[in-house]
Amino acid sequence: MARVSGSDLARVAARTPLLQATWNYERQQGLGWAWCFAPVLERLYPDAAVRRQRLAEHTAYFNTQPTLASLALGAVANLEEQRAAGLTPEDDGVARVKTVLGSALAALGDRLFWFTLRPFAACLGVLLALGGSWTGAVALWVCYNAVHLTLRYRGVAWGYRQGPAVLGQGLRERLERMVRSLSLLGAALVGVVVAALLVPGGEPQSLTFQATLAGGLALGLLTAQHARPSPTQHALGVGALCLAAVWFR
Amino acid sequence: MSVQLLLTILLGGVAALDATPVAQTLLSQPLVTGTLLAAIWGDWRTALEVAIVLQLLAASTVPVGARTPADYAVGGVVGVGTALVLNAGRPFPFTQDACALLGVLVGLVTATVGSAPLKWQRRLNEGLARWCEERLRLGDERALAAAQRAAVVLAFAVGVGYCAVCLGVAVVGLRELAGAESLKLAQAWRLAQPLWLGLGLAQILHAFVQRRLTRVAVFGAALIAAWLVSVVGSP
Repeated sequence: MARVSGSDLARVAARTPLLQATWNYERQQGLGWAWCFAPVLERLYPDAAVRRQRLAEHTAYFNTQPTLASLALGAVANLEEQRAAGLTPEDDGVARVKTVLGSALAALGDRLFWFTLRPFAACLGVLLALGGSWTGAVALWVCYNAVHLTLRYRGVAWGYRQGPAVLGQGLRERLERMVRSLSLLGAALVGVVVAALLVPGGEPQSLTFQATLAGGLALGLLTAQHARPSPTQHALGVGALCLAAVWFR
Repeated sequence: MSVQLLLTILLGGVAALDATPVAQTLLSQPLVTGTLLAAIWGDWRTALEVAIVLQLLAASTVPVGARTPADYAVGGVVGVGTALVLNAGRPFPFTQDACALLGVLVGLVTATVGSAPLKWQRRLNEGLARWCEERLRLGDERALAAAQRAAVVLAFAVGVGYCAVCLGVAVVGLRELAGAESLKLAQAWRLAQPLWLGLGLAQILHAFVQRRLTRVAVFGAALIAAWLVSVVGSP
């Protein structure tokens, strides 16, 4: 019975940065998934015809948060190994686990990476960059990638060890705790950034600046209640209004 | 100058790659690309002023599901790049402010319009995926690697092309305005900058707080404490 080796998992992990290279509206990450997963199939199916059939099946629709996709890749490698050994009775079992894991990891990963870690890293970077320093960009990059790259590269092996139960209570609770802690710290960080903008280097800004910053905060909190128009469209509107105010004063 | 412009446009391609097709390490975020451009052009104040505003607005733009978000990767490079090119050789602070305002506006427009080339690129990827599946059915396993390579080259080319076009149009179209109306533009910057910063920070705060009073209290306490430290802590 062929078994997936550590080097196969390392090859899968090395391919994960290209998971979204061929992202499209039909299959989303499907083709990228097949590309990342190919080393596992090469190991498990020496017969080229069977391997090609499995590869074609793995190009089917798949989408999840790209970092946590590593966990799914590892878990499905474990399941595919069982299937190749004839231990999994149903043929569509792999596809079903992919679908379930994709949805569950997306729900958790979107909250962790897009709604919490990325804004947190951005705030940290902005706080340092306000003093005109290059360290802000470095802090943003390191803060995000300490989590992102660890999960991306080690996630495949973790997923393989745990199998389809990878998102069990233990890991889910740890990631949920990380979301809660980062949200709390993030709220404090936004407070520190606002204070740094109001009193940069101990010198208070002008009253006009302080009032307009407060106005911007109020406008932002009001507009954040609705998804549309987007913050970018609001920002464009604000810019146009400021230009009009100065030009036609 | 030409080497700096070339590096700026190439950075647009690299940012477009990092945003979705390759790695997603946040190298594409406006603060990171803005800092790199500051080092390339040697104008830290202008670059960071524009990058900070665009970064706060970009942080609340999320690439979830099949949604095509505003393209802040190329938008950040074009916004900061426009401000730097327009400000090159102008020593006065008010002209820096004028160029920063134009840079942020150009960055926002580039990011908004940028979802169209992204959608076009993703449609092309559909054709690529169908071609790849056809080749796989015929027994050509190498088609998978070829499709990945083609998609990466396409994303880089779209990023570089879109960045070059937007930067070219913005610089040519706004050079006269930046010189002739710099005082008015600088006044508008002093009004718009805090509004933009507040708008971006509020969006981020909203994402963190999620209607929980404890987090609102933590925000308030941190604001007051940091304000006190800044005021009392300095001589």
